[in-house]
Amino acid sequence: MTGFIDLYTEADTFIHRMDPRVKIVAVILLSLVAFLLTNLAYLSILLGLIMLLVYLSRATFSRTMFALKFVLRLMALIIVLWPLFDRSGTPVLASLGPLKITEPAIWRGLTSAVRVGCLATVWYILMFTTSQRDLVRALVKFGLRFDYGLTLAISLRFFPTFLSTIESITDAQRARGMEIEKGNLLKRSRNYVTVLVPAIVSALRTADTLSLALQSRAYGARPDRTYLREIKMRPSDYVALSVIIASLVLPAIARFVFSADI
Amino acid sequence: MIPCTSAIPSQDKVISIKNLKFTYEGGVRALLDICLDIKYGDYLAIVGGNGSGKTTLAKTLNGLLRPSSGAVFVKGRPTTERRVSELARVVGYAFQNPDHQLFCSSVEEEVRFGPSNLGYSEEDVRQKAEQAIVGMNLSHLRGKPPLSLRLGERRRVSMASVMAMDPEVLILDEPTTGLDAEEVSELMRRLRRLNEEGKTIILITHDMRLVAEHAKRVVVMAQGRIVLDSDPRGAFTDIEVLRRSSLEPPAVTLLSHRLSKFEIPQDIISPEELVLHLLRSEGESK
Repeated sequence: MTGFIDLYTEADTFIHRMDPRVKIVAVILLSLVAFLLTNLAYLSILLGLIMLLVYLSRATFSRTMFALKFVLRLMALIIVLWPLFDRSGTPVLASLGPLKITEPAIWRGLTSAVRVGCLATVWYILMFTTSQRDLVRALVKFGLRFDYGLTLAISLRFFPTFLSTIESITDAQRARGMEIEKGNLLKRSRNYVTVLVPAIVSALRTADTLSLALQSRAYGARPDRTYLREIKMRPSDYVALSVIIASLVLPAIARFVFSADI
Repeated sequence: MIPCTSAIPSQDKVISIKNLKFTYEGGVRALLDICLDIKYGDYLAIVGGNGSGKTTLAKTLNGLLRPSSGAVFVKGRPTTERRVSELARVVGYAFQNPDHQLFCSSVEEEVRFGPSNLGYSEEDVRQKAEQAIVGMNLSHLRGKPPLSLRLGERRRVSMASVMAMDPEVLILDEPTTGLDAEEVSELMRRLRRLNEEGKTIILITHDMRLVAEHAKRVVVMAQGRIVLDSDPRGAFTDIEVLRRSSLEPPAVTLLSHRLSKFEIPQDIISPEELVLHLLRSEGESK
């Protein structure tokens, strides 16, 4: 269960080595490219490139499948639903009462599906290749206050722990004869109380201990702190950043300056 | 795979484990081919280093974990045929961390939760809860919120809440963690009394001294297997097996091994035995 909350997979690829800030910027810029393109063929090429990057990020097969399953379901849903709501254009392919399916609507549905596919998949590249620690570090470098960053990092770190605590509490109550799914709504909500109360109490106890542990390691002693691992832009990061910027700027020029149909 | 063999006649077995294997969802193989029979009224200690499979094994006994292969029989019926809540009537399980089960606003309410789940009559619930509260020496705390109590007291509440279900088998997972010496010996006295009344006790622990002084039978686990199964005396004389399982025999056993040249026997497992032996040999030399 915990594996799917943190999608990060340890590996040594050029995407893993990239500065996390470049990766965040790249993901945002590539999303903008997906909005910029309107032609199904070009969008498909973009989706293909993004899939290639996902492949190159060397996530485990099960994680890639987990991610793709979600994206493909979403795309299928759009392809099916779009023509039902968009009834403009000709030729009409089929009609049933007020319901009619037109050919342009099918193409528009496909285009939107591929665009959403791009937008969803591109984030997986970031999630597969960047540890939570690096993400938080990048956000702090972008100007997030360090204590907010630390809070975020701790929440992410303790989420799986919290889930396993809940699992263990549920087991403990089942061993006392509780059947969590049994009874009417009132009975069932009372069943959840037997899990939630110990879970919250144990979360508060953990938080309390953790704050003492942080203080005893002089957290917040000085406003100007140093970092064990600084993130630094390397030449390759600048190259990657330039490529990504070009991939947004070039289609933008083509579209807005030369009015190309892309 | 070798089929399990057993010297215990089947009507005497409260729990019977046949070629049990268990693999966690992530692929961790926690139990590899376990065979174990437990008699009614036994006092069994399961010992082993961290990650040896003790808790996993215990969780298969009340159906919280279902065998990946093999079977666990409780009173002759496989656990897969019964719900956890049904098994709770026979096999009580006190979890390692008492805070994972306390949620009520008073000790009394907490202790009554288990038996009321099992569908006992109001009178039976009251009586069983009362017995457990007195048995765990909680009478003076019955109105207090359990979460406000000290760790040792919380642990007693959690055990009382399991004992109140009046199960025939009582599994205690590391029950002495966080207790002081006085609380430990008090707890062990109570467990012994329960055992004398006919309850089967299964104690999961690291504390070899407790095992030596209280258990009738010791099962040593390492890497998902049972590596030793004997009475405490037999278990502690095999220091090599214990060491390999990240365990150490009680200090007094180690001492008598060191003193072997003074003709101290090698199978001493309690201070009383050592004293007795020394007094006897002094008597002989006079």
